[in-house]
Amino acid sequence: MAEIGDIANEFIRDEIDEFLERDDERKRNIEHFARTRLLMQDIAAALIDGAHETVDELTQQALGEGIEALEIMDDGLIAGMGIVGIKFRENFIFVPEVLACARAMKAGMAHIEPILSDSGIEPIGTVVMGTVKGDLHDIGKNLCIMMLRGAGFVVHDLGVDTSEDEFIAAIEEHGAKLLGMSALLTTTMPNMGKTIEAFIDEDLRDDIKIMVGGAPVTPEFAEDMGADGYGKDALACVELAKHLLSE
Amino acid sequence: MASIDPNDYQKRLDKLSSLLGDMVRHADEQAQSRCPYKNRHGECTAQFGCRNQRKNTQAGGLLLCAGDDQLDYRSAWEGIERPAQRPGQDGRGRILSGARSCVAQSRRTLFDAADVLDVAVPTSCYRTGSCHECIIEVKRGMEALNERTGEERFLRDDYRLACQAEVIDADIDIEFIPLNRTPRILTLSTGQPDEVAPLVERRHDKVYFEEDYIDDYRGRMLGIAVDLGTTTVAMELLDLETGQSVQVASFENPQRFGGSDVMNRISYDAQHPRELRQAIVKALNRQIARWCELYSIHRHCIYEIVIAGNSTMRDILFRFDVQGIGQRPYKSQVELEYLDGRRTHTALSEKTRRLGLRAHPKARVYGLPLIASHVGADAAADLCATRLDASSDAALLIDVGTNTEVVAIHNGRMVAASSPAGPAFEGGTVTYGMPGYEGAIERLRWNGAAWEYKTIGDLAPQGICGSGLVDLLAELRRHDLMSPKGAFAHRQKEIAVVPDRGITFSRLDASNLAQAKAANYCGQYIVLRALGLAPAQVKKLYLAGGFAHYVDAQAAIDIGFLAPVPIEHIEKIGNASLQGARDVLLSKNKRRQLEKLVGHIEHVELETTPDFFELFVDGCQFKPMPSVLS
Repeated sequence: MAEIGDIANEFIRDEIDEFLERDDERKRNIEHFARTRLLMQDIAAALIDGAHETVDELTQQALGEGIEALEIMDDGLIAGMGIVGIKFRENFIFVPEVLACARAMKAGMAHIEPILSDSGIEPIGTVVMGTVKGDLHDIGKNLCIMMLRGAGFVVHDLGVDTSEDEFIAAIEEHGAKLLGMSALLTTTMPNMGKTIEAFIDEDLRDDIKIMVGGAPVTPEFAEDMGADGYGKDALACVELAKHLLSE
Repeated sequence: MASIDPNDYQKRLDKLSSLLGDMVRHADEQAQSRCPYKNRHGECTAQFGCRNQRKNTQAGGLLLCAGDDQLDYRSAWEGIERPAQRPGQDGRGRILSGARSCVAQSRRTLFDAADVLDVAVPTSCYRTGSCHECIIEVKRGMEALNERTGEERFLRDDYRLACQAEVIDADIDIEFIPLNRTPRILTLSTGQPDEVAPLVERRHDKVYFEEDYIDDYRGRMLGIAVDLGTTTVAMELLDLETGQSVQVASFENPQRFGGSDVMNRISYDAQHPRELRQAIVKALNRQIARWCELYSIHRHCIYEIVIAGNSTMRDILFRFDVQGIGQRPYKSQVELEYLDGRRTHTALSEKTRRLGLRAHPKARVYGLPLIASHVGADAAADLCATRLDASSDAALLIDVGTNTEVVAIHNGRMVAASSPAGPAFEGGTVTYGMPGYEGAIERLRWNGAAWEYKTIGDLAPQGICGSGLVDLLAELRRHDLMSPKGAFAHRQKEIAVVPDRGITFSRLDASNLAQAKAANYCGQYIVLRALGLAPAQVKKLYLAGGFAHYVDAQAAIDIGFLAPVPIEHIEKIGNASLQGARDVLLSKNKRRQLEKLVGHIEHVELETTPDFFELFVDGCQFKPMPSVLS
């Protein structure tokens, strides 16, 4: 039976002490971190802190030391994300912090992906995502990206205020088969339709599937403007992406 | 490097997906009650503008979120696309306001500049563009600012919201003034009022409004008298038990963004309903709040507010459609209802609450009765203050303003008219004209070589106010520097008044003043003629309002601004309209008498007078009015 003092990393000890209130969760995490390497604890700590640059460095270092990619995922990235999830559930942190952690997770995964492809494991799909022109809202889109990446997709995030040309260039550059667009304003929603028309004009429409989402968007509107699918939230987005690529 | 088993990898992905899935579900749940852009420190992480964003006092900190999470925060995001924070950059231009200036910084709002300059600009929406209180006038450099934002749709010409006007070209000088400059206050206190019997009464420990119990006595009973002028608003806080004045305050009417005269305001009100009313209500409330703080009084101690103002000003405040006042036959909705017999008088009474004024919830707002058309409650208040109706001699009352009212009495018969003089003598349409605020030139003399001047507050001159303009015109005529028709001697196009400050006077300025003067001239001419009076027969000329108090009467007579009444018969009475409002607030008898009196005054409409046009042309000349009016 491990004690909290058995965990070498001070940051992790404090996190568990301060934020984990349920006995089973405390016990499980103490057990887990107590038996992991210090370097894995450091990765988890950096991820919880949202320090993507540190996660990036430490993951490289761990792989260089010959640590298994799966161990880094288990004991570093996923273990850290587990604590983030609890803190979020208990309202210690909020969406912006969660997204910072997701970005740190991605920094670590970036070094694992080459090993995956060397092992013959291909991503289940490549997606280009962005918020349409004139719209600066990104939370919903970022949550979708977090879920997609977690499910094994490679996602190229074009950020906010994305023009038609930027969408087209990204699809061509990455050879992506799937495009995701988000809009949060009733005034910018029509820009989704304009982007789809731009793909038609470039004769690229048939090469890709297009999914759309965002608060004002409805399934009817998605169909009207000629999208292939509509996702009502980040969870639905993963299912929709998988479905569209299997068609 | 060891290879990875796809099944083992998939297990990790599944675990991660379930973990993230829980988080996304929680995020969805939380988004129902809390803005997802708000981090745990209550800061806003959004990349876009939001109405709930507040400045962080810590330099470089994120904006703070002021959303209460009870409302639908999402609507606060809609349509605001201005990025919340961008670094500013110093340019070569300067931002000026009054005598102060600072370096222009790109991407900073004029509100930020006002902070730096220590220029007071009001706001009650934390600079998000929704309260419309921070209206400023951009005197130059409009082209250095961003386009008007959606919040500023109601503004035109050189007016902007300080919180929305952002510097895009920091290499150009920008000059602005807030619309809340403090005019010189005319306090001709009459001391102890002769009658203190207001409608609000204390009976033991209860407060009654007429026969209605409205409150328990709180130790104080206060009322407010307001003169709601087109250009300037004056307010007086009064003790309803003693009749003593607590304080008089005065400020620029913030409705100026809707035009400077009543006709412009009327058409503005049709295009942008509510904006003018909200602007004045907020300004009145601001002054009430200031008093409450200054004298540690609760606003619930304020039991009545009495409003004097021209027909348009009064009726905008009282939520009436004012379009009828703007076109023939120039009758307000209230006047039409009175003429139809649907009202017994033209006074108005409303709950303060309905008008949005901050006082006791059961307090009343009383609008003084109007006389006819544009001759409004302000003229009625003047009558009350001067007791013109009781005069046995021939007497004339002139309330000079953007709209000048003239009322005369002779042998018991009273005639009134309204002259749409416009704002030329109040700072409008004259290049270097300005209202009677600090820094305005109020006296001018030509010494044969140069102009000698005196400014209000003895500050560096910023422009010329009405009394200064009257002096200027009279001096130009006396020294033959200008013809009666306004042509300058030696074919000059411009007169340099204060050369080192760049203050000049042009032919066009003279022409605009000529027309404003002509309107005043016609009003007096036609009213006096209607009563068969020659100017010399007038035993008393009460000169009320605005700049008239500071005007040199002889100069005004010389240029035909005033009828040539014997100068010793002229009495300047300052803000008689405010005094009338005060009298009506303090005396229910005077109120009832006035409601009856206004029905007995004849009204002449200048424009329908057959020879109006000829009179107007005569009036445009800078020379005295004839001594016999035919």
